[in-house]
Amino acid sequence: MEQVLAVLPEAVGELIMQLPEERKERIEEIRFRLLKPLELIINGRPEFLLAGDGPYIIQPEDGVQLLNKLSRYSLYALEEELKRGYITIKGGHRVGLAGKVITEKGEVKAIRDIGSYNIRIARQKIGSADRLVSRLYEDGHWLNTLIVGAPQTGKTTLLRDLARTASAGCRTKNIPSSKVGIVDERSEIAGSVKGIPQFVLGERVDVLDACPKAEGMMMMIRSMSPEVLIVDEIGRKEDVDAILEAMNAGVQMMMTVHGYSLEEALRRPAIFPLAEMKLFDRYVELTRTGRPGTVQGVYDRDRKPLPMEKRSSSL
Amino acid sequence: MSWLGAVCIFISTTWIGFELAKKVRERPKQLRQLKVGLQSLEAEIMYGLIPLDEAFLHLSRQLSGPVAEFFLHAGKSLEASVSSVQEAWENGLSHLSAASSFKKEEIEILRQFGATLGRHDRENQQKQIRLALAHLERELAEANEAQLKHEKMYKSLGILLGLLIIILLV
Repeated sequence: MEQVLAVLPEAVGELIMQLPEERKERIEEIRFRLLKPLELIINGRPEFLLAGDGPYIIQPEDGVQLLNKLSRYSLYALEEELKRGYITIKGGHRVGLAGKVITEKGEVKAIRDIGSYNIRIARQKIGSADRLVSRLYEDGHWLNTLIVGAPQTGKTTLLRDLARTASAGCRTKNIPSSKVGIVDERSEIAGSVKGIPQFVLGERVDVLDACPKAEGMMMMIRSMSPEVLIVDEIGRKEDVDAILEAMNAGVQMMMTVHGYSLEEALRRPAIFPLAEMKLFDRYVELTRTGRPGTVQGVYDRDRKPLPMEKRSSSL
Repeated sequence: MSWLGAVCIFISTTWIGFELAKKVRERPKQLRQLKVGLQSLEAEIMYGLIPLDEAFLHLSRQLSGPVAEFFLHAGKSLEASVSSVQEAWENGLSHLSAASSFKKEEIEILRQFGATLGRHDRENQQKQIRLALAHLERELAEANEAQLKHEKMYKSLGILLGLLIIILLV
């Protein structure tokens, strides 16, 4: 949280500091919209902070200050980020941007005149994958796993913890550590800043930061010989080819896909062929009933539910 | 007693002459340093994408003399989180104009350049640096010429002026 407070304009930072501790802990997003009230998402619900008699309105100077601090006063250093539409800051938090988009030859060149900022607070839940581990590890290797969930259900958090578990190993469950490759297209899994992961990921993790998934998976297989390969948010045609290639090269894969249910996710044209070929050994379905990270169920290759260690666990 | 006064006058005028000559001699040297500094800054921005505070501190280590101190000042002020680059740059400039042999023109070039720093993408940033470098190039040519013309003159003028005053007073 300190890393986030460090980039916020002072007035906003002070308002947030006034929140009670347990609510501060639960902030998921801080949203800036110029000349609109400051919005916080706490526990999945929007909340507007009061300053004086009305809600705190974001002034243009607040935006300028935020951008200055994000870029350390050097806009040119954010060129690549302004093209992608988000900035990863220390601590692995991400700041999404919206505004006027400048295009060149049909490609996005940069976002200028930024009107909205969305600061997504990243929280690592070490141990959130513990209960799933014995379902996802079998006969001395990790199983090809697909994690399905809607936005904000904790897919990436779970994936990150699986990556950590795979790289660190698990002595109590007799799992040795493996070489883990992460293709982190959106800098969300490892949250790298200048190539250094901001999350605890164990000792044996190699991260290709901000690399397109399909290409990144091939690069990893060719040069880094991972035992477990981790990617986020698959869904495009070219991803599927790379996944097939990787699985046939004997690399175990863990990945996430957007979907409100397993059925729905498997209907997606890019995922359907993979499921048909029974390439995934395990499916993990997440729902957002109450807290993010609630496991709805774990399914085997034929999509039959597997018994959980305990009743549907909250991560 | 009068001899002592004469010696005092002679020493002080000579010293003033040498000081002026030093200023004329130092200016092209410092201008060259400044040009190297801006060129390095261009590399830091274009190829390193290094934020300004870090870049300034790098530069202060590479360079020497008042120009290095200028970048150190600006970098330190940025780190201490002033409200804008311009403010940090101004902090550095007020220090630089006192410590260096630069003329008003050079300080003005730097001031205008500083107003553009950190506000543009790489391409435009590079254009601004090139522009400032072109201006400094012109100043450097002028400073070199001034050194050739005036350095010796200031020295001898100091000595001769001292002698003149002594002769008039004796």
